[in-house]
Amino acid sequence: MTNKSSKIWTIIKHEYFLKVKSKAFIIGTILGPLLMLLIVAVPATVAFLSEGTTARKVAVKDYSGRFADKIIATDPEIFLKTNLNEEQLKEEVKSDNFDSYVIIPKDIMEKGTATLYSVGGSGLGFRETIGSSLDKIYRNELYSDAVQQGKDTIMLKRYLYAVSIESYDVSTAETKEDTSEIVAVIGYFLGLAIYAMMLMYGAQVLRGVVEEKANRIVEVIASSAKPFEIMFGKVIGIGAVGLTQVTVWGIAFIAILMAGGTILEMIMGVPDTMAQSMPQGMAGGVSPEQMKILSTFESLQASLTIWHAIGFLFYFLSGYFIYSSLFAAIGSAVDQEQDAQQLQGPIMIPLIIPILLIINVLQNPEGILATILSLIPFFTPIIMTVRMVATDVPIWQLALSVVLLVLTFFGTLWVAAKIYRVGILMYGKKPKFKDLIKWIKLAK
Amino acid sequence: MSVLEVNNIIKKFGDYTAVGGVSFNVEKGRIMGVLGPNGAGKTTTIRMINNILMPDEGIISIFGEKVSYDLQNRIGYLPEERGLYKKVKVIDQLVYFAQLKGMSKSEATEKGKLWLRRVDASDWETKKIQELSKGMQQKVQFISTILHDPELLILDEPFSGFDPLNVELLKRIILDLKDEGKTILLSTHVMEQAEQMCDDIVLISKGRHIRSGNLREIKKSFGKDTVVMEFDGDDSFLNTFNGLKFVNRSKNRVEFRITNNELTLKEIIKLALESVDLFKFELVEPSLREIFIDLVSDKEEVNNDK
Repeated sequence: MTNKSSKIWTIIKHEYFLKVKSKAFIIGTILGPLLMLLIVAVPATVAFLSEGTTARKVAVKDYSGRFADKIIATDPEIFLKTNLNEEQLKEEVKSDNFDSYVIIPKDIMEKGTATLYSVGGSGLGFRETIGSSLDKIYRNELYSDAVQQGKDTIMLKRYLYAVSIESYDVSTAETKEDTSEIVAVIGYFLGLAIYAMMLMYGAQVLRGVVEEKANRIVEVIASSAKPFEIMFGKVIGIGAVGLTQVTVWGIAFIAILMAGGTILEMIMGVPDTMAQSMPQGMAGGVSPEQMKILSTFESLQASLTIWHAIGFLFYFLSGYFIYSSLFAAIGSAVDQEQDAQQLQGPIMIPLIIPILLIINVLQNPEGILATILSLIPFFTPIIMTVRMVATDVPIWQLALSVVLLVLTFFGTLWVAAKIYRVGILMYGKKPKFKDLIKWIKLAK
Repeated sequence: MSVLEVNNIIKKFGDYTAVGGVSFNVEKGRIMGVLGPNGAGKTTTIRMINNILMPDEGIISIFGEKVSYDLQNRIGYLPEERGLYKKVKVIDQLVYFAQLKGMSKSEATEKGKLWLRRVDASDWETKKIQELSKGMQQKVQFISTILHDPELLILDEPFSGFDPLNVELLKRIILDLKDEGKTILLSTHVMEQAEQMCDDIVLISKGRHIRSGNLREIKKSFGKDTVVMEFDGDDSFLNTFNGLKFVNRSKNRVEFRITNNELTLKEIIKLALESVDLFKFELVEPSLREIFIDLVSDKEEVNNDK
């Protein structure tokens, strides 16, 4: 009972339960998912609203022979017919003779899919413009098929679904699936989430340390445990609070993702059983706008894996540990929370820089800039999470970032423990940043 | 057996010497008073004993071992600046601090309730600290110091912030703990309290060790040089004497020491009998406060002469 680990364990439990039982925690845990619902709904809504794009030239390669003329008729400014083969088309797009090309397969009436190729990603709005043009023709064709061949329920069922557009980016050597916008939204969201949580829980550590110092509790505790145990116990205890909250939020997030599409379908879409009683004509079915929202959810579901969740948790926790130990050091140096403001500057800068650079990283997640930034330990938690979503980060980079983060954590903990040890007993002075460095040397 | 041995400890903060060579021993089952004016270095000394600060030089031993974190569970420390978590319930607070001293949760809860009852505070058990008055908070803090049944108690200014009634309650508890065989180190700058409580004292001033030892013997060594007079009438006759140092002077009672060797008690009594209606004239040992002032000013002079 009296060994050292039990003391640190006592401190961890105290910090954990003190926070978890508080009203702020309960309210925050409940409100978090609601906020998330909003955040998930926003990109969907934005995609919904950002209809119409600047005019682009799109070549139409039609193997079915039923679509090309009709789609060109919808807007001759955009669409043009082509007889080039697919390799030639790819070259044409790359050399910018037109913006993209769409392949309409022979079996489009059965499968309901078409493929769009472009350089650097097509953009959600553009993709949907083409999708809705194709949709109209598709439905008309289905309708006339049904009239000619008699009522065909299978065909009518197909009528419920819009043409799905697969989009590919031809700019890289291998043509790859293009989910750029969704990835950008998720990447940005996760990066910001890590930033906000590191800051939120880090501030809680700072506040806790300042409270113990301001209320002179720390001297009582310091006569019972080592300063390192007090500081580290607090960091771990509040970290556990963060993990609890993030786990609850994560489950809620996954639930929203899983259920979100279904719920939207239920609200907007038409269940299969109604297919029989569908009125004929253009009025029925899922509209392209509704499709857009549904496909957003589908893309979200498809692009997040368990490894993203593990990576997110790891990078959040490691970032939290690094920054919160520094926050603890600053808290120990001041007498009241307001005084901590100016000392926080050097910590806030490396926290904010990655946020400003997320966009650049998303544009080229495999580039040198992104790679270097993601391996700087103070930036890793945010940047590497963004990269993980945006691209397949090489294993060696992930492994290196883990090693660097662990080493950095030991470093910051060591520095923070020294400052903390001196700081908690210093009253009355408003220390400057250089004083903290002096304390590091002072502490034995 | 010495429970606590402090051997010539020195602590400097930059150029400032907070403690410059203090030594004393505390025997088991005794109350040792660390006395000195504000800024004398009492709290720094006590922090070093608690292993919160480390002395630059000198050695502190507790229970025959050099001070270390392993000994902390056997010590109870009441810091001068009191502190409790404002939003935590009284009993939770007590249990947390006792657990940090290595006590089990169940035992701490049981003993905590017992102590709350002893100080008439059972009703506060589930109240938050911020709902309590200052005096009540002080009681809770005191209980947290002794809850884990420490062998050595270190109390820094234990009576400050208490009303007279609670000071008496606290004194009784401290003396009871002493009877149970606990060793107690208490610091105070109120000499009257020290005089009532302590078996031994160590006097420090401006970080320097002035004197330590058995309180009775120290007092005895000063001899009876203080006059206490009680009377009816006008005390202005006393003004005719040169070389009286008044310790206390009120309407019908004076206490003074004679600093002029040529002045005899006879002369004073003679004039007193002529001037007022004298009903008490007694020669006593000087108070601890006087001794302290004497010792500190002696030391100062010695230092100034150098």
